[in-house]
Amino acid sequence: MAFWEMVFYWVALVSYALAAGGFIYSFVFKNPRTMNKLTLLIAAGFLGHTAAIVARFVATGHLPWSGHYEYALMGGWFIILGTLFVGWQNKLLQGLAAATTPLVVVMMGYGYMQNPALTPMAASLKTIWLYIHVYFAWLSFGAYSLAMAAGVVFLLKQKSESLAVPNPSYDRFPSLGRLDELIFRYVVFGFITDTIMISAGAIWAKDLWGSYWAWDPVETWSLISWLTYGITIHLRVTFGWREKRLAWLAIAALSTVIICFFGVNLVVNSSLHVFQVR
Amino acid sequence: MIDEKIIPHPSPLIPHFSMIKKTIKYLSSLRFTILLISLLGMIFALGLVVPQQKLLKSIYLEWQKSSPSLVAILDTLGLTTIYSSPITITLWLLFFLNLSLVLWQRWPIVKSRIILSETKITDPETAGGYPFRKCYTLPATTSGDTVLSRVKGGGFTILGDAAGFYGVKNRLSPLAFMLFHVSFFLILLGGLISVYTEFIGYLDLAQGESFQGELSRYNASPSPKIPEIGSPPDVTLTVKSIIPRVEHNTPTGISIVLADAKGGTHEVDINRPYTTEHTSFVFKHLGVSPLFVVKDNSGREIEGSYIKLDVLKMKPDHFTLAGFTFTATFYPDYVLDDGKRATRSMEFNNPVFFIAVEQYGKKIAEGLVPKNGALEFAGYRLEMRDMPFWVRFYVVKQRGLSILYAGFALATIGVIWRLLFYRREILGAVREQNGVLSLVVAGRSEYYKSLAEDEFVKLFGEIVGETVSEER
Repeated sequence: MAFWEMVFYWVALVSYALAAGGFIYSFVFKNPRTMNKLTLLIAAGFLGHTAAIVARFVATGHLPWSGHYEYALMGGWFIILGTLFVGWQNKLLQGLAAATTPLVVVMMGYGYMQNPALTPMAASLKTIWLYIHVYFAWLSFGAYSLAMAAGVVFLLKQKSESLAVPNPSYDRFPSLGRLDELIFRYVVFGFITDTIMISAGAIWAKDLWGSYWAWDPVETWSLISWLTYGITIHLRVTFGWREKRLAWLAIAALSTVIICFFGVNLVVNSSLHVFQVR
Repeated sequence: MIDEKIIPHPSPLIPHFSMIKKTIKYLSSLRFTILLISLLGMIFALGLVVPQQKLLKSIYLEWQKSSPSLVAILDTLGLTTIYSSPITITLWLLFFLNLSLVLWQRWPIVKSRIILSETKITDPETAGGYPFRKCYTLPATTSGDTVLSRVKGGGFTILGDAAGFYGVKNRLSPLAFMLFHVSFFLILLGGLISVYTEFIGYLDLAQGESFQGELSRYNASPSPKIPEIGSPPDVTLTVKSIIPRVEHNTPTGISIVLADAKGGTHEVDINRPYTTEHTSFVFKHLGVSPLFVVKDNSGREIEGSYIKLDVLKMKPDHFTLAGFTFTATFYPDYVLDDGKRATRSMEFNNPVFFIAVEQYGKKIAEGLVPKNGALEFAGYRLEMRDMPFWVRFYVVKQRGLSILYAGFALATIGVIWRLLFYRREILGAVREQNGVLSLVVAGRSEYYKSLAEDEFVKLFGEIVGETVSEER
């Protein structure tokens, strides 16, 4: 890890952790006033996060695309970017950070515990397909994470609204109807980018391994994840699964993506997706 | 002529027909699609837990040794070859049957949805299935024609006139449904063609070595996979040079220059196979092939040859020359660390072999042999005169890839078109009541009700000059 990378990594991690704590505080103590400031804190953390990526890029000469630490670094960046972007587009969605920041804190903490050593880019990763494949992978992970966040917020808000005295913190979120549609929109966006990711990965695999599909554990999980979200879309469009059921689906389906990104390589060391990174 | 009235008789075939109808209805239902996808997902997940014979051969064999009866049961059930097991194939067949029936049933619906017909113009106040309804007062300066041109400007195709119109945006998007689902057939077709025409073999070639497509030259283990349709690759090539690149202890690339039969040169690297005649030569493995020569006391060469050794990553390898057996351990960047032989890095800065010599199963000498160096033993001398590399190519020939990639492209286009360029429909009429012009509209959209309503509110608000302040 480069010196400035470490400094900015910690700035980002601490900012996100404080923001996540702040959101929990505002929900538990029904105090929505702190929420606006928390977005600023996340934005500050995001600047630190970006600086950490730049510092690593300067030290290694390539973007961080491989290995658990770099997955966490870039994946967390995409999720926070998505969170800030939707919050900037629509202030009522700033609160989605309540679910995405804890996820990113856990991811980055886990990534740090893996090997963050600076390494030259492995030969297998030197291709334009890496950027297409990984960029769309992170876009889909980011979108699915936002869908999960919208799902969590939907369920909490729905529960709050059923109480005699609803928690005012949830007033800062869109209506339940809008949240329901947002979950679906994020799932759709994730599904599109997921499709591009799998297609690009297959074409890259043909050049790198000689086979476009090898039933590698990561490939297989990505297919399972794609099918899960495909089913989610069908259930919504054709069977009219909405609201609570859709929210639970969006939360549960994210587990397939997390297993694909982080879980498979923890339990299987035979995956072709374990690249030559020390 | 007597007008005969035909009285239908209850036919014994009718229950069968209704059963067939019911079966077809179920086979083409989305419920069945979801069931199949879920089952396939479960099978894929199971394949990750149960070691697969072809994918994890060593783990599978180890496991077979430790639990032979369990593995035998799983073998019988096809769970150790799960991705090609009869149950998986059956599920795939049912999936494509389901897909075909869905496409066949949906085509008339898709056709009717994309056709522009005057019958679609109905009263916006009473038309069913339009959740968005609003009535706006039109400013005196806004005519019916202005309304229509502004709606057209919003990307809608319009039928009718100001008195009653129907507008549709992304009219053809239902076609994307067909496109997306047809792409699965292309992927299936491309996949099947590639499986049946597939040749796979491993080929070890050292620098300077030529290959004329001989089947016998492929490695015996794993044995080459011969295509069911077509022939093995008919390719001639010579390896001109092999230069591996290692930086900071990480392999960062390899440059392999190949010359084809016509003398043309091709550079192979990781991620850049040599592809010709539907055949790819993919770099898989690197080794060293030193030129070892054994001389006797008088300096006469007894035997010598380039020997392909698989010694990278400190793995010892053996070879035989002049009746002696040699065990070679390779240090690419040799250093003596605390009196022990070691390598500083994986970079080829100071390549040295540590060689143990055996005769009749007994070690008779051992020592270091650097490049252009020698080891003296029992009155003999082992010289290393040169140290080029050898590479293992994964040679794969298959057809149908362009169909498969077309399937990927079509699936991507289909899913983007269908889900991003979704269809919006509006009904409208400009009406006059007590000298005041009003615009009555109704709207609906696929998938994104709120998003479309925001769009309608914005569009019609701009037409009538209303400021829009909506919850998003």
